[in-house]
Amino acid sequence: MADPDGFLKHKRREAEHRPVHLRVRDWGEMYERADLATVRDQASRCMDCGIPFCNSLKGCPLGNLIPDWNDLVYRDRWRDAIDRLHATNNFPEFTGRMCPAPCESACVLAINDDPVTIKQVENEIIDYAWEHGWVTPVRPSSKTTKRVAVVGSGPAGMAAAQQLTRAGHDVVVYERDDRAGGLIRYGIPDFKMDKALLDRRIAQMEAEGTVFECGVDVGVDLSVEDLRSGHDAVVLAIGALWQRELDIAGRRLGGIHLAMEYLVPSNRVQAGLLDRPPIDAAGKSVIIIGGGDTGADCLGTAHRQGAASVHQFDIHEQPPAERPESTPWPLWPLVLRGSLAHEEGGKRVFAVQTDAFVGDEKGHVRALLGHQVRELGRRNYEDVPGSDFELAADLVLLAIGFRGPDGQLLDKLGTELTERGNVAHDGSWGTSVPGVFACGDATRGASLIVWAIAEGRAAAASVDRYLVGETLLPAAL
Amino acid sequence: MIYDLKNANPRARVNVKLVSETGVGTVAAGVAKAHADVVLISGHDGGTGASPMSSTRHAGGPWELGLAEAHQTLAANGLRSRVVLQTDGQLKTGRDVIVAALLGAEEYGFATAPLVVSGCVMMRVCHLDTCPVGIATQNPELRKRFKGTPELVVRFFEYIAEEVREWLASLGFKTLAEAIGRSDVLEELAADEDSKAATLDLSAILYPPPPGVPLSCTHQQDHELERTLDAKLIEACRPALDEGLPVSGSWPVVNSNRAVGTMLGSEITRRYGGAGLPEGTIELEMTGSAGQSFGAFVPSGITLRLFGDANDYLGKGLSGGRIILRPPLDVPAGFVAEANIIAGNVIGYGATSGEIFIRGVVGERFCVRNSGVLAVVEGVGDHGCEYMTGGRVVVLGPTGRNFAAGMSGGFAYVYDPHGRLAERLNKDMVELDNMSDDDAAWLRGVLGRYVAETASAVAERLLDNFPAHAGSFVKVVPTDYRRALDAALLSEGEADAAGAIMMAAAHG
Repeated sequence: MADPDGFLKHKRREAEHRPVHLRVRDWGEMYERADLATVRDQASRCMDCGIPFCNSLKGCPLGNLIPDWNDLVYRDRWRDAIDRLHATNNFPEFTGRMCPAPCESACVLAINDDPVTIKQVENEIIDYAWEHGWVTPVRPSSKTTKRVAVVGSGPAGMAAAQQLTRAGHDVVVYERDDRAGGLIRYGIPDFKMDKALLDRRIAQMEAEGTVFECGVDVGVDLSVEDLRSGHDAVVLAIGALWQRELDIAGRRLGGIHLAMEYLVPSNRVQAGLLDRPPIDAAGKSVIIIGGGDTGADCLGTAHRQGAASVHQFDIHEQPPAERPESTPWPLWPLVLRGSLAHEEGGKRVFAVQTDAFVGDEKGHVRALLGHQVRELGRRNYEDVPGSDFELAADLVLLAIGFRGPDGQLLDKLGTELTERGNVAHDGSWGTSVPGVFACGDATRGASLIVWAIAEGRAAAASVDRYLVGETLLPAAL
Repeated sequence: MIYDLKNANPRARVNVKLVSETGVGTVAAGVAKAHADVVLISGHDGGTGASPMSSTRHAGGPWELGLAEAHQTLAANGLRSRVVLQTDGQLKTGRDVIVAALLGAEEYGFATAPLVVSGCVMMRVCHLDTCPVGIATQNPELRKRFKGTPELVVRFFEYIAEEVREWLASLGFKTLAEAIGRSDVLEELAADEDSKAATLDLSAILYPPPPGVPLSCTHQQDHELERTLDAKLIEACRPALDEGLPVSGSWPVVNSNRAVGTMLGSEITRRYGGAGLPEGTIELEMTGSAGQSFGAFVPSGITLRLFGDANDYLGKGLSGGRIILRPPLDVPAGFVAEANIIAGNVIGYGATSGEIFIRGVVGERFCVRNSGVLAVVEGVGDHGCEYMTGGRVVVLGPTGRNFAAGMSGGFAYVYDPHGRLAERLNKDMVELDNMSDDDAAWLRGVLGRYVAETASAVAERLLDNFPAHAGSFVKVVPTDYRRALDAALLSEGEADAAGAIMMAAAHG
């Protein structure tokens, strides 16, 4: 165990972030590197619990061996720590930056104290490892001659592809976009994760033997017949990109966009692929509808583009600051969370519902009509009489979630869907079509990156077993 | 042991805990014959965080097997009716209770589940004093974190009781008592034909005792306490018990008199609490050979002077009383007390306070687990002062090997003119020290009282020229105990430092 008294000696100390007034002027990452002594002190707070809830399914779907690497960091054994971390997580630099860390809310210390800074420790281990050149291609010791197609290059597809390549299969990843990475590539702004991190991972995977075929829309550029006949197995990691709509009066007015219509080109500008964003928040009054992570990404992007004002609407009532009884430890608590972007400004408006958009004479949105609601239960709201309001807006972004995977490819493949519209699988990620597997948001619906990687790893183990009869690939799910 | 405990508190049930394993039925029968009131069959599934890993993982078998064996053995030997059977080992549900009842248990022990209900998260660090939910710790900072309430535990057991009722109803029993030992209503679940489980033969576990044999406890053990010497002592000491008046008397004692003074002591404790009576209220002189556990658990207010000899366990658990053991006055001329064994092994075992003065040599494990008694003796066998945590022991003659093994507190003063102790000492936790002036003055006073009580020739010779002999005494001091004592001497301004040293010493 790390220091048995560590949690009594040290208080939780989170890593510093770049000052707001500096970081909103560029698209660089919001984080500062922590000093190693602090990270070690923080790691020493880990109690090496008899029952480590942090790596239970409520804590970490990857089953990260958190107490192990906390101990190794405390003992300054960084090389062992990255080996232990990579044993369960292909891309710790992704989760270290973008996971909301359910491990920390499941940490035993979180019962009555502040949890261990698990995410920070994870991030430092992988950054340290890259800096020291310890992250190198892991090539398979032998090949199987089996060919696997992975459709989609987001975190689930990448994880599945890396695992299957390392198991000796010939893996091709098909990506519709011009560059690999899926939502991480163009869905996540650079201030949340520097895309150089993604590029070096893809380079590592290519060096291991994974082939990325970008600009191939499977079902269009490559027929499903060719896809299936050309490969011994197919893994669908196509995400859940079908965005939820808000069908209310005025939706067709100009200046009202789905979040991804706004974020993707904006991120292409950051990548140097576009000169100007086609939808620019500069000087505008922006209203973001939707209180989730995508909404926060829109908020951070709008501030960096120079928005005049930003409101973020949430239909839920403002959650309490402390963990409520309804979500007891070790569950994910329903508390008020701020993403880092919220530090940078903007106004969060809770318990509001949007009724209509009002346009100007040119058919462009001018304002939004809404009213306050009371939350009675899950998806059950009551209008507050007399609370109607109008709020001026030049740009409205809809970030109210995703309905499920896009249908066209699935229609052509003929995979069965669940009631919610996700790809149905048999519990081992096999779909109703023989030899076709699915994982990530495509099977779960839009979810956390940690689930995507976990499902990608688990699906890879199933595919490996399907192809050669048995597997040594580890899977926590 | 059972007898001693029953004497120490005749109103308490003596409960003997047995590990569930093959052959436990025979042990249970023996324990029942030795008049235990309750026999606990403890299964291997249990173990709170306080249990060592070796016990949690590698000790015992399932309670179901041990319980069935114990119940059947007791019933077959006509012993079932006089003991209560209890079982434990990770019982968590009402169904567990019902299965235990049907296999013969009348009482059911829960530990882990109610601990979890009160906030335990099975950290398995009970031994580290770092319990983050404030249960297994003395650290005030950690104890603040404890959020459990009695109501939570009450609610848990209400649920258990409700589930028990549901099972009883479905089995057709009106009360739990009717279900005890009714293994005939247990049914085997059908196992897959080719599974390992299908090869199990559970008939021995479900074997019904012969018809007509009681299946549960129907009457209490007869401990025959009214036939003890103490029954007479209690009558004789009524004035002291009722009014605190001084009582003295002389009694013959023989070696079938076990635990002499113990039940008398329990009467004092019942009336006057742990403080007992003033020193010297009851003074009893005894002559003869005492049986085991002479003066066990005797509280303050009782002085037992035994002229003769004693068996093992003299002064076991002594709780403030005084015991003086010396040879009879009519020993033949030329009898050398310090060259003769006068009492057996394990004297002063677990004693907490009081005095034991013995003229003569005693057996092994003298003052094992002593936590506060002052004991003086003229020589001891092997393993003296083992696991001692407090008190003071004076040895005026030779010691056996492995002296002070695991000794974590208290002091031992050994007269060692030839420097032999060092090679017989277990040095793992203690070190040798010279006597300070304070030590010498204290020892001189003690030896004076010792001579007055026992007429010890050895002590008299030492006192004749004490300054010359004081240098031949060696003081045995536990290393961490010394650190803690040094810390206690720090001034108040250094309280934090003192606390830290104390904690460090306590954690070894």
